[in-house]
Amino acid sequence: MTLEATHCLLRMYDDHHNLEDYQGGVPRWCTGCGDNAILTAMQRLCRDNDLRPEKTVFVSGIGCSSRLPHYMRTYGFHGIHGRALPVAEGIKMARPDLNVFISTGDGDCCSIGAAHWIHGVRYNMNMTMVLHDNHVYGLTKKQASPTSPRGLKSNTTPRGSYLEALNPLSVTLGIQNVSFVAQAVDWIPEVLYDILTAAYKHRGFSFVRVIQRCPEFLPKMFDPWLQNPQKTLVLTHERGLRLSPAMAKVYKNQQEHDPLDMDRARQIASIDDPIPVGILYQNPEVPCYEDLRHSGQLRTADYVRAGLEAEFDKFTVWPAEGEQSKPAA
Amino acid sequence: MQMNVNVDTQTIDPLIFYMTGKQPGNGKDALAGQRPALLAPYADLTRLRYDFPLVLIEGKTDGVPVRSLSDAVDDLLRKIAPPGMESEQLRKMILRIEREIRILAAGGERGHLSELWDKVAARLEKQDESFGKSARIARAALDIDGPVLDCRTGMAADLIAHLWSAVQEDKARRFRTVVSRLAIKLADILRVDDSRSSAGRSATSLQAAVGPAHQSLFDFAAMSKLLPKSSPREALSESRRRRIESALVALKRQRFFAPLSAQAQPDQSVKPYAFRFDNCAAALSAYRQRLPDLAELVKAMSIAELEIDGNYIEGKHDVIFSSFDADSLSARDRVLFPDYLVTLGDGGTPPDNAALMAALSSEVPLKVLLNVGDLFEVTPAGEVNGALGVRSVQLARLATGLGEAFVLQSVSSNLYQLRERISRGLSFGGPALFSVFSGVPAQESSLPPYLSAAAAMQSRAFPAFSYDPSAGPDIASRFSLENNPQPDADWTVQPVEYADPEMQRISQDVAFTFVDFLVCDPRCHRHFVAVPRGFETERMASAAQWIARSPAEQSDIVPYILTVGDDNVLSRAIVDDRAIATARRCLENWHRLQESGGVHNSHAERLLKRERQIWEEQKREELANLKPAAAAAPTVVAPTTTPAQPVAAAPAQEAAAPERSPDEAYIETERCSTCNECTLLNDRMFAYNANKQAYIADIKAGTYAQLVEAAESCQLGIIHPGKPINKAESGLDELIARAQPFL
Repeated sequence: MTLEATHCLLRMYDDHHNLEDYQGGVPRWCTGCGDNAILTAMQRLCRDNDLRPEKTVFVSGIGCSSRLPHYMRTYGFHGIHGRALPVAEGIKMARPDLNVFISTGDGDCCSIGAAHWIHGVRYNMNMTMVLHDNHVYGLTKKQASPTSPRGLKSNTTPRGSYLEALNPLSVTLGIQNVSFVAQAVDWIPEVLYDILTAAYKHRGFSFVRVIQRCPEFLPKMFDPWLQNPQKTLVLTHERGLRLSPAMAKVYKNQQEHDPLDMDRARQIASIDDPIPVGILYQNPEVPCYEDLRHSGQLRTADYVRAGLEAEFDKFTVWPAEGEQSKPAA
Repeated sequence: MQMNVNVDTQTIDPLIFYMTGKQPGNGKDALAGQRPALLAPYADLTRLRYDFPLVLIEGKTDGVPVRSLSDAVDDLLRKIAPPGMESEQLRKMILRIEREIRILAAGGERGHLSELWDKVAARLEKQDESFGKSARIARAALDIDGPVLDCRTGMAADLIAHLWSAVQEDKARRFRTVVSRLAIKLADILRVDDSRSSAGRSATSLQAAVGPAHQSLFDFAAMSKLLPKSSPREALSESRRRRIESALVALKRQRFFAPLSAQAQPDQSVKPYAFRFDNCAAALSAYRQRLPDLAELVKAMSIAELEIDGNYIEGKHDVIFSSFDADSLSARDRVLFPDYLVTLGDGGTPPDNAALMAALSSEVPLKVLLNVGDLFEVTPAGEVNGALGVRSVQLARLATGLGEAFVLQSVSSNLYQLRERISRGLSFGGPALFSVFSGVPAQESSLPPYLSAAAAMQSRAFPAFSYDPSAGPDIASRFSLENNPQPDADWTVQPVEYADPEMQRISQDVAFTFVDFLVCDPRCHRHFVAVPRGFETERMASAAQWIARSPAEQSDIVPYILTVGDDNVLSRAIVDDRAIATARRCLENWHRLQESGGVHNSHAERLLKRERQIWEEQKREELANLKPAAAAAPTVVAPTTTPAQPVAAAPAQEAAAPERSPDEAYIETERCSTCNECTLLNDRMFAYNANKQAYIADIKAGTYAQLVEAAESCQLGIIHPGKPINKAESGLDELIARAQPFL
């Protein structure tokens, strides 16, 4: 908005939404699935920040996690496997005024979509990506994913997986232009909500890995961490996460960590046990790709038409000179 | 005391001259051609590289609308002739061209930099053929152009008008971007509605939308019949269409900014408004006449913003926009539109102070340039009385008292240094006053306007200051004395180097006082009498020292200043009492300015003194208390190097969670991860709160067995079943045992 007058009018009639205004349908995820916690945290985030549903887009790839846009009463794009990011980047480039969120899973992002993930981080466009990491392909009935721990027996690795699990945090922190990296777990919903809120408010590409349970195929995998709060390392800082007194009473294993400290962030990222939870890295100074590349040109009908013509002309086969004047055989 | 001085065969007593101001009666100006000793090195400004002339950059400015010629040439040298033997000749030639352009500008020649450059290069090429090639190389690399402006009368008006234009051009650019976008988006809304209308879906329209090469492939008549059945029927309401159309018309017919193209302004008879005036009354009148148009435009823009974002709600907004008028405009909205530039004092007519003050105390975005041409008041008989003209010098200070007007006072020679602050004032949302002294009129002064203006600032006759209401809430943030030389001192002090009669180098610190400024103006020479060489005595004190002395110390001593003539010989001139009295008033004015600028602030100094006294008192008491205690101490304790440890702060009191009884059934709601386990078990007993986290909604809506089962199935273990309420429920013993781990 340019005018104070418009701001005043909008303030006079502020629209407030309830959680239900963002609920798009009954989730078909399994009972106990961590996706439910992420969905709830997202809906709370939208409500508490008064995100207008028509100005909000959830983009996803393929997998259990990628069903999330169906359950949000906002715009959504349930895309193709591994390609959530290119779609989201296109949306953001064309409509920088929209709030863009990406839901992706450990298979969708870290396997088939790995190239887009790397460049998505490098582009640093202003959007929030949530990696639902349950360490397994659930939608296709238990196959090993890139983040499956070594030795995990699955339908594709009946003798146990052979490779060390890929660490999404370490990978992301190794990419140029990274500006926000955080990790949450689905079983601490308050912290999950706080981290998603911080990610949304960060101007740049926010990468949030959420370690989540798959009660169907890996029901016991995270039990030790659920039952023992000491096995969760909560990263706190005045510019990062602050635990409420109630949470601080349960999760006593806390560590002060400055989100601007990249070296320490990389060390923390490599810790498996206890699971680090909090904002590992945040640098608001990294430039956003849409700011660097946006032409500022108004997209009039003529402008769009001229652009399309120019693109089509690249593939046009022009008749050779004088060919048109040749007499028909 | 006998201290007679022979002045061209007439003998006068300096003391009597000081007291009476009576000159020897030969009517000859013995100080003709004299200037203050500190100005001796600046006899020929064209030989110096300094801020002037300026280049008022036209075209692409990259945010720098003005540059000094020297800066521009320095850039050029860095680009094509970096230091080194290879490019030494080119450097010399470019610097020669710069000097020649400076001489042309000082001689009153006007023109663009490119024109003057070519003129100089052609003339020098006639003298030396090798000049031509170098000049062309440099000319090709010169990436700025615009009028060259020397420091002369009227320079301030040209410079500030140029900077004002740059600010207005920025505003115009932003405005055009915003309005073009709004117009396109509004037109899009109408276009989409048109395409959904029956006319838009007619066979003819559909056919027109497809390229002619493929038109034969479609049955447009059939498509026209099918489309209305399959696409939404919602059309724009008549009221919304009218609202959008009238907003579009208002955006296109606005007169505050010139349209970029004739296409953007379909009605060629509508001319954009002018915003430059030569008096405040005309500017204010124009502003008030245009207010309704401004309100109409802001209303159209606001409607457009709401419509485009889908936020316009007729039931709420119609009533507001129906009464939207000039009173509805906020200061932040007015900032988007052009400012009114008023130039006063250019034609020598004194400004109407009352009208000026009224204009500056309004919220109207007037930017007023007050050209101060003369600091002295001229008596009705045509004599200069040497007193500071209150009207011109004090006006800017009075304007700071208005509170919400931006004020900048400076001399013309200093304007280039203050260019960013001037631009800030021109961008300021409210009224602004720029009071500029351009030097003693050329016909009245022996100095060029640049030196005359610089002398006014140096002598505190016309100090520089700025008052920026947008800089903060208090005077300390808003008021600045920056750019004044030695702002903490009464007078500026600089060394003067000269050779004594034995040709030995002497260096002497000399203060540049208001009296030194007076001697630059021949109209004030009657306040001085030259002291012939050899008549200097110890009964003379420099004007600065003399002013600083108490009256008792001043008896028998006369004040003088050091001057230098065209022959570069240093001499003294005795100053009369009236000139000294004026210098005192000038110093008092400067002291008041210093206080505003936080220098020697009497309130702060008084407070500091009081606090120091209190502190010293406390320390004395502490010492007095320590002495008896020390005397009573039985042993001497060895000093320790360990610093005292601060007392550990009491641990922050955590918001204590209510202690729950193990008999009570509850859920740690804030830890619930919305897994649906419990709600699927019994959605009347377990429910979600506003954050979609579970709590026990009604414990009686289910059995104790369900409570225990929910606790067992909750992966986070946050359901605590407590003790059964219904003691008659079957199998309680087993259930209580199962519940035990979750209590």
